[in-house]
Amino acid sequence: MTTIVHVINQFFAGLGGEEKAGMSVGVIENAAGAARGLQSQLGEEAKIACTIYYGDNYFHEHNEDAMKALLDAVRTRNPQVLVAGPAFNSGRYGLSCVEICNAVAGALEIPCVTAMHEDNPAVGTYRDFANPRVYCLPTTETAAGMTDALKAVAKFVERLSRGDNIGPALQEGYLARGIRRLEKTDRPGVDRAIDMLLKKIKHEPFVTEVPMEAWDDIAPAPPLAQLKDRKIAVVTTSGVVPWGNPDRFKTYRNTHWQKYNVAELKELEPGKWEAVHGGYNVAYMNKNPHYGVPLDALRALEAEGVIGPGKLYPAYYVIPGNQGSPAVMRRIGQEIAADLKKNGVEGVLLVAT
Amino acid sequence: MSKELEKAGLPVALVSAMYPVAEQVRANRIVKGVSIPHPCGDPSLPPELDARLRREIVQTALKALEAEVKGPTLFTPNMTVSG
Repeated sequence: MTTIVHVINQFFAGLGGEEKAGMSVGVIENAAGAARGLQSQLGEEAKIACTIYYGDNYFHEHNEDAMKALLDAVRTRNPQVLVAGPAFNSGRYGLSCVEICNAVAGALEIPCVTAMHEDNPAVGTYRDFANPRVYCLPTTETAAGMTDALKAVAKFVERLSRGDNIGPALQEGYLARGIRRLEKTDRPGVDRAIDMLLKKIKHEPFVTEVPMEAWDDIAPAPPLAQLKDRKIAVVTTSGVVPWGNPDRFKTYRNTHWQKYNVAELKELEPGKWEAVHGGYNVAYMNKNPHYGVPLDALRALEAEGVIGPGKLYPAYYVIPGNQGSPAVMRRIGQEIAADLKKNGVEGVLLVAT
Repeated sequence: MSKELEKAGLPVALVSAMYPVAEQVRANRIVKGVSIPHPCGDPSLPPELDARLRREIVQTALKALEAEVKGPTLFTPNMTVSG
């Protein structure tokens, strides 16, 4: 029988939502929460020895402590395979899953499996690690695809625990890590390359053997000289809006942005503003909206002349960033950029939650 | 968001507690925020120190806008504000 350890966040462990995201690492014997679903998919061949959980925020805010506690807990169970997630499109959760898999694979030299949506920003970290012992399976965007995701993970775990040779990503269905492996073929490279070239000339489809990574680097915009003479604006994805949410933002997947005038204001008074966002605990932001739009600090710096008179743009821009699809966020970014430029803004303070 | 603004030629100082993610998505001027639910400040501090910390974070962001960078660069505010 194979021993598995399943690592999940506090939410999928069934311990609570955002209000519990600060909880430290803990261990529950056997399968709990989402791990139960995995155990039922695994059947008799493998047993989840324990479910390790951690708060989504705790992991990132106490990274060293969290990692140490996790590694210690995994070690005592001596599993053959570790599973983390699935994280779907949650960036915070996805990143912790990838980091945990990478650390466990390194320390215990065992295969680790996680799963998430292809657009999860953590997939980039997974590719950066390119750890040959870590596999990330694709999932749907939301937890609606939980059952299918756990089925796929279970199948993969079974193969890994049997010691199966896992082939390349395209064939096996896990997300590519960019690892090049040696393969035997019956035709020399020259022949294969000429075949590809001929196909290319004839405009026929062909598959390269050496895919290039598509880096999406943006050259940094030039710095601002003489800051006090420059017009700056605040943009935030925190979801801080006037109380009552007049423009009806949703807590997730928004497709529009707004700007709100603060020209006459020295500060954002609690009770007149609220945060609309489904991806973090908004209680702090509601008590003090300056955590998302630091108007008090900007006014103080304006009074001291660090920011020139009239150089703080009189409105701030907002969209709750939760689960925004990359395509929509790109469009919104372009729209906000156009509006900023139209208004002569030269630099941006972007507060992200 | 940060990338589209930079593409338009606007320097962006991105205040985020998840700075590894910010680096991952190749933001260029990254300012370390306090925590995910409250990037600009720390509610566990007395209000006066909390405000001072927020000021430090904003000032670090302004410095980041003035800085010449070649790629993702992390700017760390001095988090040890004291009375």
